[in-house]
Amino acid sequence: MAEFYLQIRWVHVAAVFASGALFLLRGLLVLAGRKQWALAVPVRYLSYTIDTILLTAALMLMTLLHQYPFVHGWLTVKVLALVAYILLGSIALRRGKSARTRRLAFGAALLVYLFILGVARAHHPAGWLSTVFA
Amino acid sequence: MSTTRRLWLGLIALLVGSFGVLLWMGGDIHRQAPPVPERVASSTGDTIYTREDIEFGRQVWQSIGGMQLGSIWGHGALIAPDWSADWLHRELVERLDIEARRTGLGSYSDLDEAQQAALQSQIRADYRDNTWNPETGTITVTEERAEAIERVAAHYVSLFGNDPDMTALRESYAMREGTIEDEARREAVTAFFWWTAWATTAERPDSDISYTQNWPHEPLVGNSPTPASFMWTMFSIVFMLGGIGLLGWHYAVYHGRAPEPQPPVNDPLEELVVTPSMRATAKYFWVVVALFLVQILLGAITAHYQVEGQEAYGFALSEVLPYSLTRSWHTQLAVLWIATAWLGTGLFIAPAVSGHEPRFQRLGVNFLFVCLLVIVVGAFAGQWLAVMNKLGLEYNFLFGHQGWEYTDIGRFWQAFLFIGLMLWLVLVGRGLWPALKRRDETSSIVALLFLSTIAIGLFYGAGLLWRENSHIAMVEYWRWWVVHLWVEGFFEVFATAVISFLFVKLGLVRAKFATINVLFATMVFMAGGVLGVFHHLYFAGTTTAVLALGASFSALEVVPLALIGLEAYDTWSKQRATPWMPRYRWPIMFFVAVSFWNLVGAGLFGFLINTPIALYYMQGLNLTPLHGHTALFGVYGMLGIGLMLFCLRGLRPQATWSESWLRGSFWSLNVGLALMAVLTLLPMGVLQLQAALEEGYWYARSAEFMGQPLIELLVWMRVPGDTIFSIGALMLSVFVAGLWFARRREARQEVAAAEA
Repeated sequence: MAEFYLQIRWVHVAAVFASGALFLLRGLLVLAGRKQWALAVPVRYLSYTIDTILLTAALMLMTLLHQYPFVHGWLTVKVLALVAYILLGSIALRRGKSARTRRLAFGAALLVYLFILGVARAHHPAGWLSTVFA
Repeated sequence: MSTTRRLWLGLIALLVGSFGVLLWMGGDIHRQAPPVPERVASSTGDTIYTREDIEFGRQVWQSIGGMQLGSIWGHGALIAPDWSADWLHRELVERLDIEARRTGLGSYSDLDEAQQAALQSQIRADYRDNTWNPETGTITVTEERAEAIERVAAHYVSLFGNDPDMTALRESYAMREGTIEDEARREAVTAFFWWTAWATTAERPDSDISYTQNWPHEPLVGNSPTPASFMWTMFSIVFMLGGIGLLGWHYAVYHGRAPEPQPPVNDPLEELVVTPSMRATAKYFWVVVALFLVQILLGAITAHYQVEGQEAYGFALSEVLPYSLTRSWHTQLAVLWIATAWLGTGLFIAPAVSGHEPRFQRLGVNFLFVCLLVIVVGAFAGQWLAVMNKLGLEYNFLFGHQGWEYTDIGRFWQAFLFIGLMLWLVLVGRGLWPALKRRDETSSIVALLFLSTIAIGLFYGAGLLWRENSHIAMVEYWRWWVVHLWVEGFFEVFATAVISFLFVKLGLVRAKFATINVLFATMVFMAGGVLGVFHHLYFAGTTTAVLALGASFSALEVVPLALIGLEAYDTWSKQRATPWMPRYRWPIMFFVAVSFWNLVGAGLFGFLINTPIALYYMQGLNLTPLHGHTALFGVYGMLGIGLMLFCLRGLRPQATWSESWLRGSFWSLNVGLALMAVLTLLPMGVLQLQAALEEGYWYARSAEFMGQPLIELLVWMRVPGDTIFSIGALMLSVFVAGLWFARRREARQEVAAAEA
């Protein structure tokens, strides 16, 4: 399977950007008062599909690299940040009671997303700040 | 004579005839089984193996999970090889090499094609000639063959132990380090494996067909399908087409002629009095959901072992929960949770039908529940101890791991489960008794329902009919009574009867017509189903008669499935039959899914592997679990969930159901199952099939083939489908939990309102 490493990584990265872009779009739609578009059935299913592909590729990479969450720090941080991202995203799109809450959660979710990207790039728990902590 | 009476008589005649043939053939299988020799000796007189070695080796093999780690004669698990085919191929390669060197040609692998072919034909007689002497009970092999046996045995002794050189191979076979810790036991296992391989090429007396109908496909020794396999494949297809034609005629004459009853204005089940014993069945359904979730988790781990043979994401899982255990529990739980859903359904509807709560019924329901929990925990603990080499062999048969796929819990636990089923039968019987005594238009359908519960109770008993040392061909015969007749036969009758019965109770179908339909459907199922059991036994040491009967009758099993669309549409239309029917939308949707998967999983994917010629190559490839998953979960799993939802509707008549959780669950389960089939099992099975056809069966199951990047990629393709499927199961559990938690919330609100 190592033969497919580059392709799998490419699928993973593409899914990360697709997932992030879709979240950005849906968040903006909610902010613009078009919540029904953001939560429309095809959009939701598109999101599930992208995330399932993303997860599959992630599990494959983990097995190929022999690096695992709760064993290797950067992956532990990624998983925890992912949980935070999902919770914040759910508040931003659906659960947030007021516009302010949704806006704040949306901003925070995007920051967490960028942080996860940093951790992934650096393979270091501190992400973009890894050079500082190195 | 009324139609109902005629059908009853027809059904009785059919069952007597079919079971007569089935039992008679059982005798034939017993008489014609491949002999277990007293001694295997080389031509120089040295003893290679004794009967004790072979029998002890089989016990050892059973204790480490038997069919749950690799397979024998194609029956069992999929990741490690088929030991019979693997041994045969390894022995042939060694034998050819010995022959090549003996004749001064050098290594066999360096020879050209013509030289290799010449050597192959030279050794063929050594393998196909049956040297078993019935008088002395001895099988004699040539010296060269004895040497080849010794070499292969050394390979296996090393493989099943801790030899670091074999770690990579163990990993690709998903075997834990030190699978068999004791060396003497490892040596004994080789005796059993050798004997199963011997039977695949040794020709039956006065015949040119081996004991396993020339299975597996092995070009090196000329093992190829028998002429009978071709013939009965073609005949069986003709029989099936004829059957479909006849059933089409029957439908054209009778279908849709029954007058529709005037459906009641209100839901008749809304006024159902939920008795204490009915209320006590709730916990059965909670356990159903819990076991279902555990089963999925174990399935995911089992599938993951195909990628990392001893680990799960960095954790050395095989040291505590090896593959053979996760697979044992995954397959056992499949039957157990579905059976629990049906047991719960039977206990729930019996007092509901008769309107009578017998004394101590609730106590019985609770007692049975505790027994079932003890059985699951006890049986699984025994299996863990056995596979981890912590239970003495002397206790293995009773309390450990029997190693026979689907019927592998210890004999004590099997017997306990049988007693539990008898208790269930008594509880359902006494609940139904007043309704059985009543002579009204529903009495026939109630009788059918009760008969199917009797059959479910009693037929599990077939699992008690083999002994620790029974011949493997006989164990297979009785094992398939349980897996095929019990699961595929009487579960099916129970399912048809119970669904029709529920529609009668809802006032959507007239009892008289429902009875006729159920009786007719039962006859059609049983006509193919009883003798169809033999399609599992084509290559399990049986004769050509078994192959002919199995092929012909099992093809008839597809007949009702070909026209199942009619039934599915009828069920589907019931949703809109009355204004209150949407209350039952999701149970009905699950019943529609049952029809869909009956066609796809049981009909199409089942028939794909059903004919002798197809199964000759496909047995034990991924096309088998393709049928297994889509038919067992697709049909019985969906049905179990549908029935559970029906009962939950009765248990919580006034609850508002969360449509979104159920809708999500329904579609996730269906889409997830379809993705698992289409993205992994089907393509992987087809690739394996091609390999089996071109190179021989051993190759399609080898580490070399299964370790290819493309195969690993296909295994990974399970993740999307399995994830969606698991989400469906989680949504179902949230829904079921919500029914009770919501009830508490509502009750609290009511109290608060009353106090205010």
